[in-house]
Amino acid sequence: MLAGAPAVSFDVARVGGGSDSLAAYRGKIVLMNFWATWCPPCKEEMPALEQLYRADRSRGLVILGIDQGESAATAGAFARAHGVTFPILVDEDQQYASSYVSVGLPTSVIVSRDGHVVRGIDGAQTFAEFQAAVGPLLAAK
Amino acid sequence: MTPRATAILLALVAIGLTIAQDVWPARDWYHSWQYITLLALAIIVMTGYAWNARDGSDGVAGRRLGLAMIGAIATAVAGVLSGLIGPDTVTVVGSPGTVTPVPDLGAAAFFAGVDPASLARNDPVITLRRRGADPIDIGSQPTLDGLSVVFTQMRPAAYVVARDEHGNRLTVTQPNNPSFLSPVLLFRQQQQIRDKTFPMDTFATPAVNRIARVLYFSAADLAAFRHGLPGSRDAAGAVLSVADNAGNTRGLTIAASGLPVNVAGLQITITLGMYPVLVIASAPQPAVMIGGIVLFVLGCVWAAFARRDRARAEAAVLAPQ
Repeated sequence: MLAGAPAVSFDVARVGGGSDSLAAYRGKIVLMNFWATWCPPCKEEMPALEQLYRADRSRGLVILGIDQGESAATAGAFARAHGVTFPILVDEDQQYASSYVSVGLPTSVIVSRDGHVVRGIDGAQTFAEFQAAVGPLLAAK
Repeated sequence: MTPRATAILLALVAIGLTIAQDVWPARDWYHSWQYITLLALAIIVMTGYAWNARDGSDGVAGRRLGLAMIGAIATAVAGVLSGLIGPDTVTVVGSPGTVTPVPDLGAAAFFAGVDPASLARNDPVITLRRRGADPIDIGSQPTLDGLSVVFTQMRPAAYVVARDEHGNRLTVTQPNNPSFLSPVLLFRQQQQIRDKTFPMDTFATPAVNRIARVLYFSAADLAAFRHGLPGSRDAAGAVLSVADNAGNTRGLTIAASGLPVNVAGLQITITLGMYPVLVIASAPQPAVMIGGIVLFVLGCVWAAFARRDRARAEAAVLAPQ
């Protein structure tokens, strides 16, 4: 993952209908989270992501949960079961995770308002760790 | 053979050997002692000839050929330096859609993303990008890039789509490869079967605890044991061996490119094609090499005019007043 490099974007399906992509959120701080339903650490991390989304969405934070390689039905059922309210994208072809050279799941990538990679985070994070990562970016104008 | 003919012949050989590094790059032979010795020998003979001919002992043509020898020597020196101290050939393997820094070129290599259709068409390209410069698409033809020659080599690749028994798409991972979450296998390993070596790779579907080993068989290899396998007779195929997490084999099958097969509770579609790797080889300093060749040609042409110039001078002396 190249910190400082332009963040690549792909149009993929969105749970609930239609398509979505990273590029649609240019101008906002975006936290992309690559995950899959079979991945235990991804499940453990979901509540922290949901908490972060509820806490910071009003400050301009966007969280995109991008399921890697599974069907929309599988990802949607998981999101509903776990009370996820942030957008869930379905990347059946695993384009996001392979382009960002994700070495495992979950992986989070923080993207700046101007569409560049700020940093990548491997492994499950806590709410506090997520806040520490995105807080300074949200505070900066 | 006269000294002049020997010098010209060795000059041509030296220039040819040096140009070869650009035309047929990435050969180990360019870094061998035999290659270096041949060029060094040519340099010594050419230098000796030019030195001896400078006082006119081989006529005006010989003196003028000195210029050609200087050019050929410069070219040969560029060839020797490239072979002697140039870096060894580097092959950069990148997963589709990724960017790999290439310090040898001071650039980043962008490996094109693929879908099954583009992989089957062998379409993917590698693009070199540098800050503030136009991107360069690299193809199979050698391209000079500073002190390097870069080109692509196509290698077998496979795009894997896996589904469970209900038809739901499954995540494909590659636990043994750097491209952990890519569905594209690049066959970085090999397996020997009897006297033949086959490209091999593995992938997993963690959701259903399956690990598959894939052997790539070319159309020719497959023809040897094609027993009613659907698909074109000219197409490559893959042998799939699927095991559970404990390593127990759960199924074995042969898959034709692009056609789904059911094995061990999975429906797997493997689309086979070729994907490029980037090859970087050392090259002779282009300005020295080209300048040397130009000097060699100019020197030879100048020397060829020596006979005519002498004939004119003699005619002028003999002409009646």
